[in-house]
Amino acid sequence: MYYIHTLASITHQNSFQQENVWDNLTVLDNNSVVIAPDYKLYISPVAIRRLSPVLRMAIAAAKECQQTRSSDFDSISVGTALGCLLDTEKFLNTFHSSTSDTLSPTAFIQSTHNTIAGQISLELKNHSYNMTHTQNSLSFEVALLDAMLCCLEGKTNVLLGAADEAIDFLKVLQPTIIKSDLQFTSGASFFVLSQEQSESVIGFKACECYFSADDVKSLVVGFLKKQGLSLEDIDQVFISGKEYMNDFLGAIDYLDFTGLHYSASAFAAHLAHDWMKKHQKSYALIINEQIKGKLGLILMKRDEA
Amino acid sequence: MKIYVTGMGVISAIGDNVQETYASLLAEKTGISQGTQPHTERFKVGEIQWSNEELKTKFDMKTDGSRTSLLGMVAAKEAFYGHEIRNDIRTGLISGTSVGGMDVSEVEYKNFLEGKEHHIENYLNHPSGTTSEQIANELGISDFVNTISTACSSAANAIMMGARLIHQGMIDRVVVGGTDSLTKFTISGFRSLMIFDEEWCRPFDETRKGLNLGEGAGYIVIESESSIEKTKKTPIALLSGWSNASDAFHQTASSPDGEGAILSMTQALSVAKLKPSDIDYINAHGTATPNNDLSESKAIKTIFQDSIPPFSSTKAYTGHTLAASGGIEAVISILAIQNKMLFPNLNHHQVIEETGLLPVKKTTQTASVKHVLSNAFGFGGNNSTIILSEV
Repeated sequence: MYYIHTLASITHQNSFQQENVWDNLTVLDNNSVVIAPDYKLYISPVAIRRLSPVLRMAIAAAKECQQTRSSDFDSISVGTALGCLLDTEKFLNTFHSSTSDTLSPTAFIQSTHNTIAGQISLELKNHSYNMTHTQNSLSFEVALLDAMLCCLEGKTNVLLGAADEAIDFLKVLQPTIIKSDLQFTSGASFFVLSQEQSESVIGFKACECYFSADDVKSLVVGFLKKQGLSLEDIDQVFISGKEYMNDFLGAIDYLDFTGLHYSASAFAAHLAHDWMKKHQKSYALIINEQIKGKLGLILMKRDEA
Repeated sequence: MKIYVTGMGVISAIGDNVQETYASLLAEKTGISQGTQPHTERFKVGEIQWSNEELKTKFDMKTDGSRTSLLGMVAAKEAFYGHEIRNDIRTGLISGTSVGGMDVSEVEYKNFLEGKEHHIENYLNHPSGTTSEQIANELGISDFVNTISTACSSAANAIMMGARLIHQGMIDRVVVGGTDSLTKFTISGFRSLMIFDEEWCRPFDETRKGLNLGEGAGYIVIESESSIEKTKKTPIALLSGWSNASDAFHQTASSPDGEGAILSMTQALSVAKLKPSDIDYINAHGTATPNNDLSESKAIKTIFQDSIPPFSSTKAYTGHTLAASGGIEAVISILAIQNKMLFPNLNHHQVIEETGLLPVKKTTQTASVKHVLSNAFGFGGNNSTIILSEV
């Protein structure tokens, strides 16, 4: 069991610094925006001006997690599906439109995927393991697997997170290559994991990724069986989309609450955590098939107090 | 637990495969020359001569993709050649890339900006994760796919991730390394940082001015003990050490004393249970930027003190291939072990005054190369070290 010791999400929901995200949760309409905290409490004004929204969101969420810990993180594992899109687009615009020999490097510097985890290490002056995973809709799951490895290697204060940002250009891709008609959203969710339980009762139990998933239901059953469980043992299923609602009766479509970004299963884990806390239930399962054939399964558990 | 290397593959400006690469290394023949493409013609680059269409036919590709994907497929296929997909061996691909399919999307995005015909489906190639999925598809690998994107340390980190998954029994065999193609995006980016040398790059030289970019891919196949018992493969090396640490100094520059580099080298030695004096050769990151080479030199001096092993940067051969460099240099490190050969740091004339470190200057046959330490450092202060050892 990989216990969650603290968690923080900045999303289109009122999710930051809330006792329980379900208290204020709403189904997103297509005009929702990021509900941002006062970044000045986390980042210097100079840096705020330079940093794109996804970097601000991730740094603030990571710092919020750090504030509840007595020691520095001993590993950092971050997943991002599309990375720092705003700076990527900004730099594309710069060099495509400029004839000058001097270009501003800021957007280029901040365009690489690992700017998110890298800026967190810089802001926290953290010298530990620092990894950035990107695997389309399974980016959070592979980052979670790495965080689990860190725990198995004896690390006890592992920062795990995922962050992605929406830019207007993504709408150009709908519906030609992105079939969903949901609104593109931004989100950053961070967790601190350890195999040491201390005060925590909820954590990640298992995670698996499948890259040629055809029969989702039988993969779910097989995954649970390995954990000595069956579907009946799961108190709540969280699933990306409505296609399999008949297979998983009573499941919650988490995309209703996260909107569309490919690392949304990270906020789904936050939703599942707070759901178990609120209802005092034992098992939640996250079924992520945002991209057809690519399946992420995350089992979360709450120990009986 | 031992981690066996049972295959390797590489493509860069100095060769389409391991054999050609070794021949160029021995002949001290650089692959860097004046660029031939619209976005490279103003610079000295380590360009691969084949167009995308040529790559597809010459290397018999079943899968289409960006140039980054195609280069990755060439090297990964060479590494995986002779290996079989089996139900009783859980096999994965972990690949590093910094630009992914940017070579495709930057062209489409220009069409979009100029109001020209816009092929939206081409953006399917853009995500870095897709690059790895395309390479995995070409190899027939579907048990596990993972992409690491930590700029220039990506491939080294992919190798490390594979080793750690094997160590915990989460995977049996994995193709690990990285790929990056030359794009207008990265050329413009490094130009904006003003760290290009208009002449041939000179790693660890007092007069170094900056880097030459390159493109390519390099992969190795690593297996667990139980996997190799089933595959009966002859190991060509051991992956004995790995580490990643954060410099936490600056988004692009290395700290003056190489704090992150010292951490990554020290921890990798500790994972390998080796002393600094056990290392027979260092394949340095050595980008030839004033900042990296000074910082890396200081870190090497801190760790190896008065008995610095032979070291060189091979980036004056290949150019800096960014996310691919750690994979290409893992292959070069294994060539050093297999052939008991040290490869030179081309274009070196004058030691850095402040550190006085003299790299290997000529191809050198030695009595034995048992352990090679290879560094890869990336933006964001992402410092990685792997150690490859004789079987």
